[in-house]
Amino acid sequence: MRSHPSDYEMVAPGSLNAIISLMANEPGVWLPIAGGTDVMVQYAAGKLAARKLVSIWNLPELRQIETIGNEIRIGAGCTYSDLRSNEIVRREFPLLYSASRWTGGIANQNRGTIGGNIVNASPAADSLPALLVYEAELVLVSVRGERRLPYAGFHTGYKKTLLASDELVQAICLPRRFAGYFSHARKVGARCSQAISKVCIAALGRLGDGVVEDIRIALGSVAPVPLRLRETEQGVKGKAIDSELLHLARGAVVAEVRPIDDIRSTARYRAAVAGNLVAEFLKLLSLQRAKPSDEPVNTVLARWNRLSTVDAARNILSCCGSIAWAEAMAAKRPIADDAALLAASDETWRNLTPADWMEAFQSHPRIGESRSSSAQSPQVLASRDQSVEWSTQEQGHVAGAETAVKIALADANREYEQRFSRVFIVCATGKSGPEILEILRRRLKNDADTELYEAAEQQRQITQIRLKKWIQE
Amino acid sequence: MTDSRAGRTKAQISFTLNGETKTVHAHPMERLLDVLRERLQLTGAKEGCGEGECGSCSVLIDGMLVNSCLVPVLQAEGSNIITIEGIAAGDTLHILQQAFLECGGAQCGICTPGMILAAVHLLNRNPEPTLEEIREGLSGNLCRCTGYTQIIEAVAEAARRRAIA
Repeated sequence: MRSHPSDYEMVAPGSLNAIISLMANEPGVWLPIAGGTDVMVQYAAGKLAARKLVSIWNLPELRQIETIGNEIRIGAGCTYSDLRSNEIVRREFPLLYSASRWTGGIANQNRGTIGGNIVNASPAADSLPALLVYEAELVLVSVRGERRLPYAGFHTGYKKTLLASDELVQAICLPRRFAGYFSHARKVGARCSQAISKVCIAALGRLGDGVVEDIRIALGSVAPVPLRLRETEQGVKGKAIDSELLHLARGAVVAEVRPIDDIRSTARYRAAVAGNLVAEFLKLLSLQRAKPSDEPVNTVLARWNRLSTVDAARNILSCCGSIAWAEAMAAKRPIADDAALLAASDETWRNLTPADWMEAFQSHPRIGESRSSSAQSPQVLASRDQSVEWSTQEQGHVAGAETAVKIALADANREYEQRFSRVFIVCATGKSGPEILEILRRRLKNDADTELYEAAEQQRQITQIRLKKWIQE
Repeated sequence: MTDSRAGRTKAQISFTLNGETKTVHAHPMERLLDVLRERLQLTGAKEGCGEGECGSCSVLIDGMLVNSCLVPVLQAEGSNIITIEGIAAGDTLHILQQAFLECGGAQCGICTPGMILAAVHLLNRNPEPTLEEIREGLSGNLCRCTGYTQIIEAVAEAARRRAIA
């Protein structure tokens, strides 16, 4: 049932002082509305309980991003577009930057605000786990004055917060001390963009002396509130990352999350994915060498940036066997850092033709074998030793599979090759033989177009993992 | 500036719309989309989902792409609004409109005004986008007819033409 506008009152006093006075006079009566990306949806659905609204959209007092001492202070009224275009956010808070890119489409990023997301308190919001791992603090304001409190603990239950009925969130403060950390964010949803997450992760970590020196992990959509995994963090801190630790971490995650069944997923799936996401983060973290945090550029990248175009393309071809991809990557140099390299790869990959994709697919051995097909150009063959070694690592779990699984895989591979006339591509890292078999059987049911895009997406993931290894060589 | 009717107040709200100053007498919580379509007879912006997911109600406010179904009209006070009706120069189509026509980027037409405005917003910020950037720029605009390929081609074509113009 749609709401009728005549049932609502709305004012726009235009200054922070006037707004908090209004809220102090009638506590709990005036609902602040910023960009409306949540409030107006409730309104349209006839579910907006408040009848009086006060606009806080575009208030200058809430829309600054400033650096004060050793922290960055983000006005609560900053939009996701504001965050995306801020250089400090992009450079020093990549988890917040990537969450800003994932939050809605461009129009919603132009209106949705970080403060609004915090107060709306959805456990599925993509930006909130990032605030947890960066150890954000909130500045709340009312006529009684300002108070500052840690963001962790602000959400007290599903859609419940510590905000008093006359208070506004004024700013979010992030300490600038995580620049040297390895960070990882991933969202698992029904599709890539514009889908509310089934589970999302934001994590930071640092290795020292071969062990996890410091770590912070937070997940969305696995509890009534965005959840920092403190028990899991304690369980892995000080330890070397090996298969035993990954096993332990998965168990700790499953014990710590409190997911539910809902329209988007099931509790069981969410718990399993949460465990996998944390294990994936730890694996990626283990690939990082302990390095001084003030080193501006990765040395492999620095050296590669200086190579001739031909050599640079040849050099990177082991990460993805498409010559067009390798040449485009070489042409994009100089590339500043890991994040830029990975982003450049994704962009290049998506803009290639299916023929280029096929060339990359051909550079992989059949799952369960170690040699790729021979119909390849000399350049691709030259990059093959490294690629073969990586394929062996990636398929490590398959090598240990039972004979029955290996036979079933070989059969399904043959069926796949007959059906689609190419080798089956899957990002095998961390996947067991039976898991791959299940994926392969499912994909045999795809039509040709769907399958082409699915294979391309798998190749994209393989390339990302290989690039991360490559720059650590 | 306000009067009282049915117990709630309406307000005089003024903004610039496609270059002309407009004043409407409306409830503050009326959606900008409804004000455009019903009070100002500009029916280019369409209502698809009514909850900010589909982009068919897109307009530009102060140069920023927004979903007009999520904007209470009071928040448009003093702003500069451009709708699809305002982007051609008289009888000369905007370069994006022309490219959509030629590339087959429009079928049923529901998403087209929003698509074109999202593309205007994109090209104003990034005159030479990659295909990936075009996809991202249009990611909040859903089309159920074309399969997107021709739309993306149209935007790429418009960018090419603008670069050589």
